[in-house]
Order: sequence, then C-alpha cells, then structure tokens
Amino acid sequence: MDYYVAIASIIGIHALLGLSVYVVAISGQMSFGQQGFFAIGAYLAGMSTAMWGLGLVPALVLGALVAGAMGFVVGFPALRVRGLYLAIATFGFGEIVRLAFLNVRYTENIGGRVVGPNGAEGFRHVRYVYDRGFTGLHYLAVILVVLVVVVILFFLLERSKVGAKLRAVEEDETAAAMIGINVTRVKVVAFAAAAAVAGLGGGLFIHYSTYIDHDMVALPLAIASVTYPLLGGLGSFVGTLLGAIVLVGLTEGLRGLQGMREFVYGGLIILMMIFRPRGIVDEALVLRVKSWLSPRAPREPVQAP
Amino acid sequence: MAYGSTIMAGAYVALVPVYLFRAPAWLMVLTGIAAAVLVGLLVEFCCFRFIKKGHELAPLMTTIGMLIVINEAIVHATDAVGLKYPSPFGDVALELGQFLVRRDYLAVLVAGVVCFTLIFLLLYRTRFGRAMRAVAERPEAAQILGVSVRRVNVLTFVLTSALAGVIGFFAAVSVGSARPDMAFFVTGKGLVVMVLGGLGSLPGAIVGGLVLGVLEFEATWFLGATYRDILAFVILFLVLVFRPQGLVGTRTT
Repeated sequence: MDYYVAIASIIGIHALLGLSVYVVAISGQMSFGQQGFFAIGAYLAGMSTAMWGLGLVPALVLGALVAGAMGFVVGFPALRVRGLYLAIATFGFGEIVRLAFLNVRYTENIGGRVVGPNGAEGFRHVRYVYDRGFTGLHYLAVILVVLVVVVILFFLLERSKVGAKLRAVEEDETAAAMIGINVTRVKVVAFAAAAAVAGLGGGLFIHYSTYIDHDMVALPLAIASVTYPLLGGLGSFVGTLLGAIVLVGLTEGLRGLQGMREFVYGGLIILMMIFRPRGIVDEALVLRVKSWLSPRAPREPVQAP
Repeated sequence: MAYGSTIMAGAYVALVPVYLFRAPAWLMVLTGIAAAVLVGLLVEFCCFRFIKKGHELAPLMTTIGMLIVINEAIVHATDAVGLKYPSPFGDVALELGQFLVRRDYLAVLVAGVVCFTLIFLLLYRTRFGRAMRAVAERPEAAQILGVSVRRVNVLTFVLTSALAGVIGFFAAVSVGSARPDMAFFVTGKGLVVMVLGGLGSLPGAIVGGLVLGVLEFEATWFLGATYRDILAFVILFLVLVFRPQGLVGTRTT
C-alpha cells in the first residue's frame, strides 16, 4: 500500500512539473529550465518550514510566488529569443540555479541536526510534514488537492480568453500581434505562471522526500518534465496528466523497467516526434471528443478573438 | 544535441582495440572515428530523416532523446564505471622556456589546428563545401540549383561525426579516463562555445572557445572551481538573450 501511495505522490508532483512545461509549450516554445523553478520552490518552501517556522501552506505559497517572480525576471529577457535559442537559454538558466544551490551554504543547527541548504550535501531534514503526524496517505491527499486546484485553474485557463490568446500566439505570432494581442505580455505571463506551478511542485516535493540536492534537479529532471506533455499531447492539459501517469507509472511501477528508465524516455521522445508530434491527446482528438460529447460543437478549431 | 554522445561513443569504442590487443594510438583514433561516424549516421537516421519539415523544435527533441539513449547504452555496457584511458604521449611535461607544457595538451593543440585547417579548406575551397554552405543557408534554393540536400546532409553528418571521433579520443586522453558523464559535459561546454562565437560561424567557434577557456581559468583562479561552471552558463544565458548572433556573428534575420 505504501508503495502505491509513494508512486501516486511522485506522479502528482511530476504532473505539476509537466503542466509547467505544458503552459510554455502551448505558447509555442519549449523550456528546459522548469527544473530550476522547481528547485527554487523546493529550497524556499523547505527553508520556510524547517528554519523560519512557517506552516506548510504559507511555505508552498511562498515557494510558488518566488519561483513565479523568478519566472517573470527570467522570462522577460529570455522570451525575446525563441525556438532552439530559448530552449538552450532556459536550460542554461536551470543549470545556473542548480550550480548556485551547489554553492549556497545557509544552515542552522536545529535539535542536533544541520538544517538548511548545505552546498553539495543538499538540504536535509525538512521533516515538517512527518513531525506533525502526517502519514504518506495524508500527504498524498495534500498533493492531490494542490493538483486538483491547479487543474481547475488550467481548465478555466483553457476556456478563457487568455488560453485562446496563448494558442493564437503559438499559431502565428505576427497575426496575433496584428489583432491586438500583446504577444510579449502573454508570453511572459504564461512563463511566470508556469514557473509558479513548477515552484509549487518543488515545494511539495521537498516536504514529501524531506531532502533535495542539486543532482536531483539536473538534466534528467528537465527531460522527464518535457516528456510528459510531449507524450501526453499538447491539445489539452489532460494529455500532460496522462503522460505523467503513464511514464511515472511505467518506470516506477515496473521493477524490470527501473534500469531502463532513460531508454524509455529517450526512445519515446524520438518515436513521438516522428509519428505524432503533437502527442497522444492532440488538438484533433480533443475536437473529436468534444463533438462526441455535444453533437453541435464546432468541428473546426475556433479562432482566437 | 546528440553530438556529445557521438563524441563519447567514439572515445569508448576507441578503447576496444586496446583491450583486445595493445593497439597503437593511430589505430585507436581510426577506430574512434569509424565508431563515431556509425553513431552519427544512426543519429541522422533516427532523428532527422523522418521528421516533417517546418517543425522547428522536433530535431532538438529527437536528438536529446538520442543523447539519453546512447548515454544509457554506454552506462549499461560499462556498469557506469570510468575506464582508464591510456595516454600515448607519456606523462612527461615539456619545458618551453619558463613554462611547463603537458605533451598531451600540446598534441590536442596541434590536432585542433590541423582539424580547423582541414575544415576551413573543405568549407571554403571545395565544391562540396560550397554545397554545404548553400544548404545551410537556404535548402530550397540549393535544391533548385541541383544540390542534393539529402546527400549533403548525410555527408555533413559523416564529417562532423568523424571529427567527434577525434575529439572523443583527445578529450578522454587529456582527462585520463572515459566516463559516462562525459557527454553532458562536452555538450554543455560545446553549446556555450558555439553560442558565444555565433552559430554557424567558424572563426566564431574559435573565438568562443578561446574566450570561454580563458574566462574559466580566471574564474577558477579568482573565485574557485565550483563557480567556474556557473560562469559558463551565465555567459551562455546572457549572450543568447542579448546578443543571439554571437560575439563575432552578424545579425541575419
């Protein structure tokens, strides 16, 4: 039972990270730096509960807010470039954050334990959740509640004007700008929101594992987080959730696949790009499902206002 | 993006003849080159051939996928243990005036100059080089003029992979061992150098390499080794964002 709770918790946290990449992806860009925001959220939320005596909810909110603010600060200059350049620039940002945490030492001695970011040794003993008698199942509930809240926000986003604007920007930036969409603002806001979601995931993660170090937020995490939306599909956020469930479920759930994890991820990325570049749940599938659900729904993509 | 793992694959396979029998250095280099070319062709086949046109990010994604797959293959084949790399140049340092120079570093320098000269001649003095540059600049126009884009692309891969074989050999020799994390290291640094100098600019690559090398050494000296890599990525980020054409490149779009 504990085993399945653990897998479900990891799926929940990785789904948040995947959704973070998804937001950037539907504005037509690809980010390999969301693990940097994940790390910022994790370290900040960890310090909040373990060192500054904050509760879990303020800690998570603080982590998400700071990560979001960083997303704004980074996104503003970075989104001047696009495509390959942005992918490399965001990866550079992720590495800067990772290496910064490799160097930061800010520790306190609390109850005989060294608590706080401690350079290469990582950040240990974030025991807030377990010290207060949470079991794994309780904490899974916390993760799922956060995930549901984020998903509801996403659902609203997809149906809102902002969502339509994002897709318009993805489709054709010039055309979007011509009908009066402030392309830069839409992109930066999306990037900051994506960073906040990643930070939230990070905060949840450190309280789940009680520990994080710089190695956990390196390139493999970036690749995993990009694979979820790519495999799941860019037509709807449901695809990203599906991608996280399938991939984490496969690699964590099947013992035989444990060592083959990177093969699975790498191979899937290549195959998906060749055979179904928009993922399993792509726009066409979304439209088809919609037309099954309500026969009068439009069969052609609705253009942005 | 899979270039780093091509380099690494070359370095690893170059070890095989050494383990089978005491192979001389030239045989190692040749095996490395051959292996790297094979891997390069595999990358081209898997990552580029079936990708539809106009999907800008797709090759990036597929090559990253390939990078992981090749890396994992090597990790599984060697149990993730670093392999000792024999140096054909000995450990003795040469004395040049008041400086001590390691002989293998000197060999790297010579090999670098030779490779650069060969590439320069190929790119700017041959028919094939002209075709390559034409395809890079505007594939459709090159096709209309009778250049086989497909063939040029494959040959480019063969060429760069052969180079990767050489790089892999020297990189492993200068470190003294072949390790599975080599690819990430080489890819990261390679990206910084490329971006710094300007994408697709040969002099830029050299300037970028020199600038990064000097900066990293100064950073190690003044700030400490752990800050060295931060500096590299900060430079990468800043140049990409504020001067995407690189230090010596000219703006094209």
